[in-house]
Amino acid sequence: MSTPVPAPPRRRLIRLAGALVVLLTLVTATACSSAVDDLKTSSGERKEGGVLRVGALQDIVPARIFTNSSDSINVLIGSVYDSLIDYPRDSLEPQPSLATTWQLSDDGKQLTLQLRDDVKFHSGRPFTSKDVEFSIKTWADPAWTVQLQRTAAAITGFDTSDEHAITLTFAHPLSNIFDLLDMLPIIDRDTIDQLREGKAFVGTGPFEFDAWSPGAKISFKRNDAYWRGKPALDGIEVSVIPDPQAQVAQLRSHQLDLILGASYRDFESLGKDDQFHVNQWAGAEGQVYVGTNVTNPALSDIRVRQAIAYALDRERVVDEVLRGAGVPISAPWPDYSPAYDEKANATYDYDLDQAKKLVDEAKADGVAIPKLPLTYPSENPIYGAIAQIVQADLAKVGIEVELDPQEQAQVIQQLIGAKFPALWILSHGYANWTPSTLAVSAYPFNAEHNASLYVDKDYQAIADKVWNQKPGAVDPADYATLSKALLDGSFLLEIAITLPQDASSTQVHDIGQTKRGEPIFYDTYLTK
Amino acid sequence: MTLDVSLEEPLSPVPVGPVPGDLAPERRDSLLHALRHGRGLVGVVLVATVVVLGVLGPLVAPYGPTEQIKGANLLGPGAGHWLGTDELNRDILSRTLYGIRVDLVVVFAAVPVGAAAGVFLGLVTSWWTVTDVIAQRAFDLLLAFPALILGILLTAFLGPGVLTVGVVIVALEIPVFGRLVRTSVRTVREMPFVEASQVVGAGPWWVLRRHVLPNSLEPLTVQLAVSMSVAVFIEGAMSFLGLGVRPPHPSLGSLIKDGVRLLHEAPFFAVGPLAVVVALVLGLLLISQSLAEARRA
Amino acid sequence: MTRYLLSRLGSALLVTALASIGIFALIRLVPGDPVTVLAGPDATPAARDAIRAQLGLDQPFWSQYVHWLGDLARFDLGPSYKLGGDVGSLIADGALNTVVLTLFALVLAAVGAIVTSTAAVVGDRRWLNSLLSGLNTAAVAVPTFATALVLVLVFAVRFPVLPAGGTPPAGFFAQPDIALQYLLLPGIALALPAWAALTRFLTEALRTQMRQPYVTTARALGIPRRRIVLTQALRNALPSTVTVLGLQLGTLLGGAILVEAVFAWPGLGRLVEQGISARDYPVVQVLLLLSVVVFVVTQLATDVIHAWLDPRVRLNGVS
Repeated sequence: MSTPVPAPPRRRLIRLAGALVVLLTLVTATACSSAVDDLKTSSGERKEGGVLRVGALQDIVPARIFTNSSDSINVLIGSVYDSLIDYPRDSLEPQPSLATTWQLSDDGKQLTLQLRDDVKFHSGRPFTSKDVEFSIKTWADPAWTVQLQRTAAAITGFDTSDEHAITLTFAHPLSNIFDLLDMLPIIDRDTIDQLREGKAFVGTGPFEFDAWSPGAKISFKRNDAYWRGKPALDGIEVSVIPDPQAQVAQLRSHQLDLILGASYRDFESLGKDDQFHVNQWAGAEGQVYVGTNVTNPALSDIRVRQAIAYALDRERVVDEVLRGAGVPISAPWPDYSPAYDEKANATYDYDLDQAKKLVDEAKADGVAIPKLPLTYPSENPIYGAIAQIVQADLAKVGIEVELDPQEQAQVIQQLIGAKFPALWILSHGYANWTPSTLAVSAYPFNAEHNASLYVDKDYQAIADKVWNQKPGAVDPADYATLSKALLDGSFLLEIAITLPQDASSTQVHDIGQTKRGEPIFYDTYLTK
Repeated sequence: MTLDVSLEEPLSPVPVGPVPGDLAPERRDSLLHALRHGRGLVGVVLVATVVVLGVLGPLVAPYGPTEQIKGANLLGPGAGHWLGTDELNRDILSRTLYGIRVDLVVVFAAVPVGAAAGVFLGLVTSWWTVTDVIAQRAFDLLLAFPALILGILLTAFLGPGVLTVGVVIVALEIPVFGRLVRTSVRTVREMPFVEASQVVGAGPWWVLRRHVLPNSLEPLTVQLAVSMSVAVFIEGAMSFLGLGVRPPHPSLGSLIKDGVRLLHEAPFFAVGPLAVVVALVLGLLLISQSLAEARRA
Repeated sequence: MTRYLLSRLGSALLVTALASIGIFALIRLVPGDPVTVLAGPDATPAARDAIRAQLGLDQPFWSQYVHWLGDLARFDLGPSYKLGGDVGSLIADGALNTVVLTLFALVLAAVGAIVTSTAAVVGDRRWLNSLLSGLNTAAVAVPTFATALVLVLVFAVRFPVLPAGGTPPAGFFAQPDIALQYLLLPGIALALPAWAALTRFLTEALRTQMRQPYVTTARALGIPRRRIVLTQALRNALPSTVTVLGLQLGTLLGGAILVEAVFAWPGLGRLVEQGISARDYPVVQVLLLLSVVVFVVTQLATDVIHAWLDPRVRLNGVS
């Protein structure tokens, strides 16, 4: 900044003052105690306590607290509650948790579990067999719209005469009973009304619910009396940040330690950065799919649904959207599932010609295909990207699609209520569990009542058959029949297995995750 | 430097009411003159370039706006794709060219419609005290909602889409123009020649048409340019919040949003659409500035 | 003066009253039934009716409206339908964040405008004027969401010196220096357009003042230009600028919605968005009414200040 004429002293003074003001602002803004440096840490030394700051895409919805339908609900369930048994993430071998040992009767219709006698709820009340009964009955109550509701409702007898043991009687053998016991959180019966209102969440888990400010934050504090021993962290603070981009930015600026919702592309670029660590949770896979409402006049013709299945460019989705963190599939099962069948899985390989042929046939038979709405959650970027890929491919085979992005909470509501007008894109879970869990429980699959409104006697029969057998003793031939029924029905068109990912700063150590996708912070510690 | 640039509150705080009396022909020329020289010319050139790009877009664009090109995943700018491709393998240049059209519709259809409606309502209601009071309160009411709140609210009724953006803009412009015209009416009515014409039997319509409207044309023109630049912003903001065009169709706002989302992976992405938005807004601003200046000169 | 103020007050109250009826009716016309949202899709008709009665939605419109006014008057807004928690505390939490951000931006814009426009008039160099004019136009021509994101990418991601978003962990008042850093980026993004508008206006007003006869007299008396600007012209130019400042407040509140979205700032803008999509009537109607009240009050305050500063208005009641 120079002027041709030398400035008179007063003017120089003013300029000096101006420069000072600018400098001062810069100094206060960057130098004194920097908010960013405050948040950044450098040495690898283990830190005592500390609060883990987590970014989640969606808020909790108290009425849907048992449905695993949002990432902050997953944190809540994983942190506040325990279940009777735990599956390790990569197998279906039950491990002790609140139940120490268990005995299944020979006919598979009775299960006796010995319970821990040293467990207290966060309220201080001791945990007893009555709480198990209450928790199971809560799940069986349709009001909570829990996916394993039918399995919980099939438990008809509760013997709670011993405070520290319970005997459950089933209406019929339940091949997925341990799935239920792994998922079902043990809740406090005294505070169920507060739970419904979102005022209190009382469990026996490593962290206690502290406060919830809707739309913004949920905080948890350490449960010092946890029966496994005190957790390392002082607490957890979950910030609801619906924009994945904002989550990434806040992780990068060290305002968050862990983010749960970002696109695979973001995770890919974070993984290349030394300051961050990207976790990938094999064993907790989800499946992204296109759902069809089979009562829609156009979609009631199976050829149209099959055409859509052929027109899904699964390889491209895996490569470009999932950035390789997935597997293209036609049938839901991952390769370690007892129901996995390589041949069945290749049923609908990408084939636009075949798809076009099917559509033309259907149209020739008088099936009108108007523009079909395709609903998907707007928050998570993978759905929007997949929806547009699907739309472009379907246009090539003669099916016009109108994209209909909605908030996740609204989409889930339509899923539970089976209210989608035509097509939708979502992820489902449960294919990595006992196969019957998928067929009788998951909203999009439940043979009795599913989001596709698909009703088929054969499907119902085989779903019941794989369900009504003893755990671990299901005939593999029945699984083959189940896969065939799913593929023949083509009401739910699988795209790909997705491997869940999250990203943390390198100061966060030992995060865990359950098979159901709940982050586990019991062992987690921070370094300085 | 001008008085008429408080972009978001287009009603200029300093009275810009018309100079009473008939418009002298040379003053019309001065407005045109302003657009042929200096700042005004730059503005006209900028806006015209964007308009031409938008109108000719489909002829010039190398690809369709939603065409997914096999294997072209998030490519940088190059010979095949001047502005690169997006994460769904679409050509960004083509999308930008088509995206301009949405903004053109918003700017050159929604704003004039809102302006015309506002002018009409303003003219009609301001003649009688009762209707004037009612209209003024109604305008106040509409102005009381920040544009985006109005946008979110209307989207709840209409669902997201270009139409919603258009309706929001019309709803925003009605009170702005209504109030502007009203000021003119109130001023002109006090003029001796108007009183005189009423004495000799001129009805309200005649006075409004012959005296008020011509006198308000200049401030209205300036306001129109300002409102158009605001409309570009509103389209961008609404698309940014997911209330604008529905995917996969592009608009400048949604393209900027996508580009900014991928700024880490593809820093080139947002450059093109952002440049167009800035050119359009800048051009409209320069036009409004030069017009306002010429009017006061 | 009193008469002028009374008439302004009267029309302000009228607008607010009309707005409250309009908002109340409008919200009930939004497609989608909150009872369905609350009860869940599988609820029985009886359960729905129970919820409807519990919320008072089975009452006639005017009875609901009067009831609501009563609640408003008592500041007892009751629980929200869907977002959870008490409407009052939801809004209070959001309002604090939004108000702090908006006021900060307003101060930035006002101080910035005074500095730049006095510099432009005092300096009165061609290059300085072109520079300021260029900056000014740029600030107006680049959309707020784009500036906001560019700020994040430059100052929080590329050169991480400032937080990328969120509110200060310890609140605004415990550690003001930390809070300032959290406010800086969203504040700048929000303030830029307002700064541009204010600068243009003030510069022009100052120039007008400098053409006044008293300035010529003062110059003739040998008083330096700089001193005239700082002591006389600025004081005379400020009243009209205050009016613009008031108008900018409304703009800032509107822009806050975008900035809140980019900076994950849990303020009222985000609350409106969530409230409307969740059909949370109690939250949304209060927020909309609040936005009207803020607008009306700023207008009123602007008029009052304007009247107080400008003797013509004060004495004759003309505006």
